[in-house]
Amino acid sequence: MSYYPSHLTRFHGLPVHDFPTGPEGAERDAPPAPGSVAWRLSCLLDEIPFDTLWPRFLDEVPTEEVTALVLGAWWDDWDERGIDPVLDAITAEAHRFPRLRAVFLADVESEETEISWIKQGDVTKVLRAWPRLEELGVRGAEDLVVEPLLHDGLRTLRVECGGLPREAVRGLSGCDFPALHRLDLWLGTTWYGGDCTREDVDTLLASLGDRPHLRHLGLRNSDIQDDIAAAVAATPVVARLDSLDLSMGALGDDGGGALLAGQPLTHLTSLNLNHHFMSEALTRRLSETLAPHGVDLALAPARRSHPAQGRYVAVGE
Amino acid sequence: MSPSENETGARFAVVGNPENRRVALFARAVTAAGLPAPRVVPWTGVLRHGRAEFAPGEIVRVDSPGENAEVDRLLRGVDDPTRVEGSAHWYTRFLTAVGGLRGGVRLDDPDELAVLFDKRRCHAVLDAAGVPVPYSPTSGPAGASVGGWDDVRLLMREHRMPRLFVKLAHGSSASGVLAVEAAGGGRIRATTSVELAPDGRLFNSLKVRRYEREQDIAAIVDTLAPDGLHLERWLPKASQHGRAADLRVLVVAGRATHAVVRTSAAPLTNLHLGGSRGDLEAARRAVETAGGSWAGALAVCERAAACFPRTLCVGVDLLPATGWRRFAVGEVNAFGDLLPRLTGLPGSGAEGLDTYAAQVAAVLRAHPALRTPARPQSIRHTQHRTGPDHALA
Repeated sequence: MSYYPSHLTRFHGLPVHDFPTGPEGAERDAPPAPGSVAWRLSCLLDEIPFDTLWPRFLDEVPTEEVTALVLGAWWDDWDERGIDPVLDAITAEAHRFPRLRAVFLADVESEETEISWIKQGDVTKVLRAWPRLEELGVRGAEDLVVEPLLHDGLRTLRVECGGLPREAVRGLSGCDFPALHRLDLWLGTTWYGGDCTREDVDTLLASLGDRPHLRHLGLRNSDIQDDIAAAVAATPVVARLDSLDLSMGALGDDGGGALLAGQPLTHLTSLNLNHHFMSEALTRRLSETLAPHGVDLALAPARRSHPAQGRYVAVGE
Repeated sequence: MSPSENETGARFAVVGNPENRRVALFARAVTAAGLPAPRVVPWTGVLRHGRAEFAPGEIVRVDSPGENAEVDRLLRGVDDPTRVEGSAHWYTRFLTAVGGLRGGVRLDDPDELAVLFDKRRCHAVLDAAGVPVPYSPTSGPAGASVGGWDDVRLLMREHRMPRLFVKLAHGSSASGVLAVEAAGGGRIRATTSVELAPDGRLFNSLKVRRYEREQDIAAIVDTLAPDGLHLERWLPKASQHGRAADLRVLVVAGRATHAVVRTSAAPLTNLHLGGSRGDLEAARRAVETAGGSWAGALAVCERAAACFPRTLCVGVDLLPATGWRRFAVGEVNAFGDLLPRLTGLPGSGAEGLDTYAAQVAAVLRAHPALRTPARPQSIRHTQHRTGPDHALA
């Protein structure tokens, strides 16, 4: 199973459509209705600079009707400046996107740049620019900045990365997203900047206690997956969840045991523990405990090239 | 019985390693066409004697000298076939050996082989013919020469190439290829099948490794450099199910006949390095959905092959850029036809034929007189769209 992210095909319930940038100009077929697709902008499609691509998009697409925007590579050559100038350019036109509800930042694959090398920026700018935004997705976390803020529209937040910096986790803990339904964070490995601790996770979970609508929680792809499992096992917000995802990390018997010993999880519709390092005995106990209650349990172990190989996260570099 | 005494007159010979499946697969295609089994001329003999004679009218296929330790030792001067070093020797000795093949009707051409086995020259020839290729600062005789890692670093800066492939000029099968990526803060990484031994020797490995210490990368490149290096920009490749994809397209007598998609989680898609065959139909759909042209993609390969008009068959590595709409040619392989059991593309004229049968059929089609008693003759390619009209003889 490959956990590495590939280009989105759907986003915010819409098919992703590449804004055509070729020398041939206009679309070969009639362009889709502006609100019927998630528009992806990528400078690598035809190697044109973002400073050219963005005005063309504004000219050619009725942006007032656009609901979902997917930013692919914003560099046509290589990324020297990171995403911040691009975020400034986009948010400066926020008034032209009154119906925008979903933004994804950096829908790029490893062939374009490795996930841990994506230069993110202050994504709070996007939330401030669109108070009615419902979904924000972010890939890559180097230089990721999250300033504490109140945003009462956001329902879905997803950060995919090889290492989520502690400051970003703390920033998220300081945010207030009262409408949040789905939170999915890849915490990553210290090797790639994922340096948050159990204490940071506890603080984050405590902050979620105030979010009455949360139904899905993913805290995954972590070096400290055992600590995360132990923290989750004790946190009240779990009682409200439909699904919990602790996959892709270095989850072993300590973490699995903490889940068994903690609060009941039998109310969950699904529990994803794929890419784990637990013993067969423990996975059997998890199955015996949860499966009879109808919990859809995903328990595919991590692949190891040899038994002595240490535990590792699914997505790092 | 000498070839000239054969009653049909159509008699093949193959220069190859007799134990190799390439030779067996080609022989099977020849006999399946109702022709006598080809005469097998071993590379060991050609290399030891410096020459081999072919009868007039004998159709001569030159096949890969690979996968034979003795032949490899004779060509590279290196005792261990898993060692990476020695490709410059290999190139010189291989061309000398090819130059010692006398007579017959050749399905290749020594001058074209000299270009095909030098990635710098090949890049320049393709570029001059208007075939899309990734940018290279080492293209052709005017290109920069690379003496070691310091030169690579310099070229990366001068040509704004933070992601590039470093390739042995005369390498094959991804031997000595490094996918190098650099970013701010001094970060650098090379993905390669080269294994750097503690004593500094280099080995080809089936395991793709990642080196993140610049001193290791420099040690590898410095050791490879005396054999000649070619640098190319790393074109972000399109993907299938999250795996980077490229295509191997075989062009026989000017026409794209066979194609496979290769996908890999690593930047090297070679099948022996963990790459796997992807979904060709899905690739074709992806191209057309993206507003590109599948026929246009195949035409790029045919244009690349047309740069080698005296070579019956080449395997073109076609790189789809991210988004599946633009293409570039990565490499053109003289021995790129080992694609067992793969049959021809619809509408290619090779439907139902494997890569070897398609080549035999092309030879017979180009010159039906081969089925009559032997006489001096030549084979003419008929389907090239560009390039000089020429004889294969």
